[in-house]
Amino acid sequence: MTDAGGNLSAIAVFIAFVTLSLIITWWAAGRTHSAGQFYTAGGQITGFQNGLALAGDFMSAASFLGLTGLAFIGGADVMLFTVAITVSWAFILFAFADRMRNLGRYTFADVVAYRLQPERMRLLAATGTLIVAIPYLIAQMVGAGSLIETLFGLPYMAAVLVVGSLMTIYVVFGGMLATTWVQVTKAVLLLGGGTVLLLLVLAQFGFDFNALFDRAAEVHPRKTDIFKPGGLYDDPISILSLALAFICGTAGLPHVLMRFFTVPDAKQARRSIGYAIVFIGYFQVAIVIIGIAAISLLSGHAEHVDDSGRIAGGANMVAIYLSRLVGGEVFFGLIAAVAFATILAVVAGILLSASAAVAHDFYSNVIRRGEISDRAEVRVSRWATVVIGAVAISLSVLFKNVNVAVLSTIALAVAASVNFPAIFLALFWKNLTTNGAVAGGLTGLVVVVVLVVLGPTVWVAVLGNETPIFPYAYPTLFSVAAAFAVTIVVSLADRSPRAALERAGYPAQLVRSEIGKR
Amino acid sequence: MADAARLLEDPEFRKFMRQRSRWRWGLSGFLILTYIVYAIAGIYFGEAYARPFFGTSIPIGMAVGDLIIVFSIVLSLIYIRIVNRLEDESVREQDSQ
Repeated sequence: MTDAGGNLSAIAVFIAFVTLSLIITWWAAGRTHSAGQFYTAGGQITGFQNGLALAGDFMSAASFLGLTGLAFIGGADVMLFTVAITVSWAFILFAFADRMRNLGRYTFADVVAYRLQPERMRLLAATGTLIVAIPYLIAQMVGAGSLIETLFGLPYMAAVLVVGSLMTIYVVFGGMLATTWVQVTKAVLLLGGGTVLLLLVLAQFGFDFNALFDRAAEVHPRKTDIFKPGGLYDDPISILSLALAFICGTAGLPHVLMRFFTVPDAKQARRSIGYAIVFIGYFQVAIVIIGIAAISLLSGHAEHVDDSGRIAGGANMVAIYLSRLVGGEVFFGLIAAVAFATILAVVAGILLSASAAVAHDFYSNVIRRGEISDRAEVRVSRWATVVIGAVAISLSVLFKNVNVAVLSTIALAVAASVNFPAIFLALFWKNLTTNGAVAGGLTGLVVVVVLVVLGPTVWVAVLGNETPIFPYAYPTLFSVAAAFAVTIVVSLADRSPRAALERAGYPAQLVRSEIGKR
Repeated sequence: MADAARLLEDPEFRKFMRQRSRWRWGLSGFLILTYIVYAIAGIYFGEAYARPFFGTSIPIGMAVGDLIIVFSIVLSLIYIRIVNRLEDESVREQDSQ
């Protein structure tokens, strides 16, 4: 698969990254004693650092490799994703990042439980977090395992074990501080590696964008039709569902939301998204250019692309092959190592959010009802991390052939349909009650699962049926609407004394959410 | 926070809240709507999206998409400046009272 030069540079870069990340973890471990330090690095991360870490959390290997592949296959359709991603971050910034920061301490559950019944809201939020985190973890680890297997011939199980053990070590010992700096390191590597790849690719066309697009259209069997959108989705419902999946889904990702609590105040929370959106937006533009350039550069290379335009090893390999073609074996190894480092950093962030949900939301606040010492809570979080890490490793080994797209679709749809409605209505709607939020969240969850199973990703691709019962890949338009509708109706109908108290708590929450703790 | 209700009656604070929500919903709505119109129009005006953009070879649809990305970034940075300043002013007013 690869020659010694590529392997050597990949292994060198990867070992350098792992060594650096372990030094970071060791350094962070000395500064991680209290629960606040474990979950949020004591709220002392700066806006710039957090911006890089947010970008790192979001720019997974799936988005780097996957979207380059999509640009290669689908042409203009990739813009549906890259634009939605950038807009979704602007929406998080405009709508509620600062309010989240002002109301929460460690997890987004703090925010939804602020004036509602804490135990039931935390149970809902912890469930929503785990149903997002576990599929995402498995999707990333299965992806990492397959990538390493294809690239270096390292057995799948060994790759999964390495990724799983490292992420667990980062989180157990270094908590949020280590996770943040590993994420920052990886973001710099990914942005740097991506930029070099972009420059090398552009150099092939003499930095002439016109030539880049002209040649892609010349070479591709579909000619200029690749620049015509609509190949992937050709009806408004699918597009709206996709838009909601990204806009509400990103805003409901627990590991992203948790990052807002690592900075000192609302101002820094806003500033960190400012940095994040610059990095993320730039990367989206770069990915599309790289993918379009790949169309003309990779064609004629029979070892990578066959006559029908299929990529050996799947479309995810486009960026990897391209890096070898334009940068040689050493650069190829570097990009492969960066992709692996990316996965490692992303899973650490997700693991931390899952362990916070179990230890902080479920154990400390539901089972112990807050009657727990700081030290004990940190100990529980560390054990929770080990257990969830072990579960993720086992599931990834067990379900090697799971369809990664199914897991990612479910995770994003659950974030949009369970977490997002609860957060959004808790922040902006006075009449929200606990009964409404719980009923709506469960509705969102059930609708997502049912529609994904009946839809093309499971009913056709996994179960092998001819046509899907539910025709759309993303269920979000229906599941988000159902969750909001049920939450609102049940809240309005809620005449319990508890509900009256919850509504009366809104003004205090509103003021606190706007001006913070002063 | 027992004085939350009192603060919510305060005309200065109400003005601050009004300005905040105007920016919040104005910008969110505008940007999301722009994306949805852009994405759905692509289904019906595919030919136009594939045509080159003003004397270049870059397809119109992709150029416009990238412009929306740049626009989102610029709007975000402007928004951060405005809101951070708004917040500073509001803090100063409350402190001086």
